[in-house]
Order: sequence, then C-alpha cells, then structure tokens
Amino acid sequence: MPPAVENARAAKGAAAGQAAPQAAGRIRLPAKLRNLELLLLLVACLINASAILLVQLGALKRVDFSLLYFGVALSVLVIGLHITMRIVAPNADPFILPIATVLNGLGIAEIYRIDLELHKSGWDSASVKQIAWTAIAIAIAIAVILIVRNHRFLQRYTYLFGLGAVILLLLPMIPGLGVTVYGARIWIALGPFSFQPGEIAKLALAVFFAGYLVQHRDSLSMVGRKVLGMRFPRWRDLGPILVLWAISMAVIVFQRDLGTGLLYFGLFLVMIYVATSRLSWVLLGLTLFVGGALIASQVLAYVGDRFQNWLDPFSQQVYNARGGSFQLVQGLFGIAYGGIIGTGLGEGRPATTPVAQSDYIVASLGEELGLAGLFAIFALYLLFVSRGLRIGFAGQDDFGKLLAVGLAFTLALQCFIVVGGITRVIPLTGLTTPFLAAGGSSLVANWIIVALLLRLSDTVRSQPRMVI
Amino acid sequence: MTSELTLLILRIGFLLLLWFFVFGIVYALRSDLFGQRVRKMPADAASAPGRQAPSSPFPPPAASSGGIVMQHPPLSNMPGAAADGPSHPLATTSTAAHLVITSGQKQGTSIDLGREPITIGRSAESGLVIRDDYTSTHHARLMLWNDTWMLQDLDSTNGTFLDGKRVTSPAKIPLDTPIKIGTTTFELRR
Repeated sequence: MPPAVENARAAKGAAAGQAAPQAAGRIRLPAKLRNLELLLLLVACLINASAILLVQLGALKRVDFSLLYFGVALSVLVIGLHITMRIVAPNADPFILPIATVLNGLGIAEIYRIDLELHKSGWDSASVKQIAWTAIAIAIAIAVILIVRNHRFLQRYTYLFGLGAVILLLLPMIPGLGVTVYGARIWIALGPFSFQPGEIAKLALAVFFAGYLVQHRDSLSMVGRKVLGMRFPRWRDLGPILVLWAISMAVIVFQRDLGTGLLYFGLFLVMIYVATSRLSWVLLGLTLFVGGALIASQVLAYVGDRFQNWLDPFSQQVYNARGGSFQLVQGLFGIAYGGIIGTGLGEGRPATTPVAQSDYIVASLGEELGLAGLFAIFALYLLFVSRGLRIGFAGQDDFGKLLAVGLAFTLALQCFIVVGGITRVIPLTGLTTPFLAAGGSSLVANWIIVALLLRLSDTVRSQPRMVI
Repeated sequence: MTSELTLLILRIGFLLLLWFFVFGIVYALRSDLFGQRVRKMPADAASAPGRQAPSSPFPPPAASSGGIVMQHPPLSNMPGAAADGPSHPLATTSTAAHLVITSGQKQGTSIDLGREPITIGRSAESGLVIRDDYTSTHHARLMLWNDTWMLQDLDSTNGTFLDGKRVTSPAKIPLDTPIKIGTTTFELRR
C-alpha cells in the first residue's frame, strides 16, 4: 500500500534528521529498562520455581527435581527472549515479559498439581504438554520480534489478515479436520495435536480492524443523521458492523462457542469506539448483541441451558441435569473452600471440578491460593492490560494506537468473560484464561500478543525526540 | 506437625512473594502513575513564579493558568488568529519543515518535522519532552489531517495556547504562529 511505504520512508528520513537531539537528550537509558526487566524476570523465575516446589511438598511430601529441569529450560528461553530484546528492541516496555512469565509459570504449576491428583505423568499429562507448548510459544514470540521490525509492516496486509481470520474461523467446520469437543466445534486435529484456530484468528482480526478503521473512521464518525443528540451512521457505513455481528452470531450458532463470539464482537465495538469516539456505535452494538443473545437463549437449547445454570445453579434439578450446573457449583465450592489464603498449593482438591486444568484453572488457583493469591493474579492481569493501553495512548501513529488498544482489550475482555463465568457474574462460556489455562493455541496467541506489544512499545520510545 | 507448620509458613511466604512482585512492578511504574518528576529549571529556581521574564514577550503561565483567554501578547497584535482571516498561510507538510523553540529553556533549537505526529508532554514517551512545572504528562499533540498540521490539547491542566488563545478542539496551525505550553513557546516554520 503506497501511503504506508511513504510513511515508513518519511519516518526514516525524520529519524536520520533527529539523530543529534536524540543522542543529546535521552531521559532514560534503554539499558536501564532492560536491567529492570532482567531483575523482574529473575524474581518471576523464583516465583515459578517455588510454586512447583510447593506443589510437590504439598501433594507428594517430597521434592522431585525432574520437572524443575523443564522449568530451567523455560527460564533459559525467557532469558533468550530478553536478550533478543536487548539487541532488536532495546526500548520496549520492561514489565510485560515478567508478568507473562509469572502467569504462565503459575499456570504450569497448577496444571502439574492437577496431574498429580489425577495420577497422570509423562506425555499423557497436561503439564508436560503445557511446558512443550510454552517453549513453542516463546520461540514464536522471539521469531515475531525478530521478523516484525516495524508494526506498520502489518498495515500493508490489512485485508489479507481479514481474509486469514475468516479462513481460520471456518477451518473447524471442514469435515475430517474439525473435531467436536464438549459440544463445541472449534478445534482442528492434526495428528496427535489439536489446535484452536479461533485463538489466532483473534489476532488477525485485531490487525484487520486496526487497519480498516484507520482508513474509514472519518466516514464512520462524521457522516450520518443526528437522532437525540447522537450521530448515527449511514447504512453503507453500518455494513462492517453488521457483517461482524453476523459472523460472531454464526460462530455462536454453528460452532456453539458463546465466548468467542462475545470476544470478537466486544473487540470490534471497542476498537470502533476508540477510532471514532462515537458513543452511538457502542449503543448500537450493545443493542444488537443483547438482542441476539436474548433470541439465542430462547431459540438455541444449549444457550438457554447456560442461562438456566447461571440464574439457578443450586437447584437440585439443574445441578443433576446433563450439561447442568455441576461444574459451575463445584468451582464455586472450590473457591469457597480456599477462603482467604487458600489450602496451599498441592493441598486442595481442585480436580473434583471437571476440566479443572483448562476452563476452570481460575477456580483451581482460587482454591489453593485463596482470595489473596487470586487477587494477586488479577492485579497482574490489570497491570498487563494497563501497559497495553498505555502503549496505545503514547503511540504516535493511529494504526499502532488502535492495534495496541485492541490487543490489550482482547486480553481484558477474555479475563472478564472467563472469571465472570466462573464466579457467576455472567453466564458461563468456554474461553481460556490467558497464559494460565492448559491449551497450546491460547498460549501461542497470547505470547504473540506479548511480542507485538513489546514491538509497539519499542517503536513508541524510539521516536525522534527532544527534551527540554 | 512441624512439617505442617513449615508448609503453612512456606505457603504464606509464597503469597507474600507474589504480592512483593506485584508491588515491585507498581513501584517501578510510579512515574507513569503519578507523572514524571518535575525538573527544576535554573531560571525557575532563581526567581519567584510571578516574575516577568525579560526575554519572553509572554506573561508567565502562572498568571494565565486560571483564565481561559490570556492577555494579548505583543506578537499577536495583528488581527486574524488561526480561525478568522489567516494572515499566515496554514502549516502543511509542504510548507512547514521545522518546529522552532522561540522561548524557554532550549530557545533557538529546532526539530525537523516529518510526516509523523509529535506528542508533547512530561512523559518520557513524548516526542517533545517538556519537564517543567506547568506541563502535563501527556499535554498536547501535533498531528496531520489531510497534510495540514493540527494542534490538539490532551486535556492538559494548564492548557495549550495557539496565538494566545486556549485550544479546546483540534485547531489548524498557521505558519510562524506561537504555540505556548508552560514556559515554552514554539512555532512551525518553513
């Protein structure tokens, strides 16, 4: 796309012209940022190692070093990512990587704990798979940082990313490739591996929205009729939001995946709101979504069941029903059993809840670390998301701003949908908890988010500048 | 029994470590939460805030921070500010090439304008970092609308003044017109 190329060239020219003032007045030295990151990373690795040791002391009453060797390997990979950043992204944000490392490590420790309770070991166990996937995900993150040297490179392929997202979404529908698990058809099976392409589609959609909205936001925000003091868009500008609504509803109907549909639609709404700052879009979108959800809860049996489980989980009938509230109630009991400081890692019984290691990892952690531990985890998510939003706020170009906000918001919304579902704030939908839950595709997607945010933050801080 | 006690201590220690990590990050972030530390300008330290700077044609911002419209500085005596009758041509990518500091600490220095927006504020991420008492963390930004340079105030505490008028919505910038942020004034020039 010519304007993007032109932009990049102009940026290079500006950077060359600014070499002198930049060298003269730098506020924080990049090495300082990276040293802070290294310090935090070392604490992060200490937390992860002690989590695994505590699990073993609690559950086995002895220390078994075999898993720790894997942990050391992962720490080496994370330090590798850190060293890569010292070379190719020295000004990147120093907090994102340590936070992701701690969350991922806590997830591995809790999954390992559940494996111990279920007496699984070796490649059967979710924890070993999770460690392997973490290694793959971090390697991919390193590759992304190395390949994507400038995020505007992504803007050139806006529509390609949009097309890619749709193809990825449709993959599980292909007979022979797609697999139905727990009623949801969102996995594809490649030999022994299963993969959830929707997780990667989420990223492609964020890039597509950012690129699309940068080009079209003027027609989306300026033109239209005014009703009740709010400007409503024209029908032809309404096209994309209606198409997106249709796609997310189709995901819910055909793939039986409520959470993903909610996530895509929320992502689009927030990005369009940030791009145009028109509240009317948000109202319009929320009306469409609530309307769609209400209709779905009446028409689709399994959506109706979810609402039933949410509103009345403790009735004996709903509890015992097939697809009833058994899981939800077990999760709530688990969190309640944990209390303020938890039963201690390795000393609870989280495996009583079905799929405790993936969808219900938050309930498992709530049982063993208690309210204090769970709130520490939420605080880490909060910090991660706030860093992402801040990178968007400080960003210089609109594409980068929108992309950072979109990526950060996806993570926030995903946490809200999962934790809200488990704690009975909203109806339960199946989504993975970022970084914590067992699942390769989710890990890969979230580590790519880490890599992209790091790249964006490096660009923000490397802008030509003068200090007074 | 002892081992249970040890485990209890260990697991409370683990929670403390986790929170130590969280607060460690928050502590390291403090400049983002509470704003970048103010640097004492040598000129500021020498005199009281109400002083009239001899070199500057503008009254000090302490006087102007409350009022929306400043007293007219001598420079903008000519009729026609940005909006009405532009006596200066608008700054576009083809006409404006430099941002020149006309008063303040770095008076006389200039930045080359590219096609990139420039953010101004006290935060280290800004394109033009101004670290005096009157500048907000994210104060204002210069951006391009259809190749014309626009000035947008980012809800700053003390305001951004284009030719003496406080900027409330994005305004087009004429060439050679003073933009005032805190004690610093700059112009866009050819």
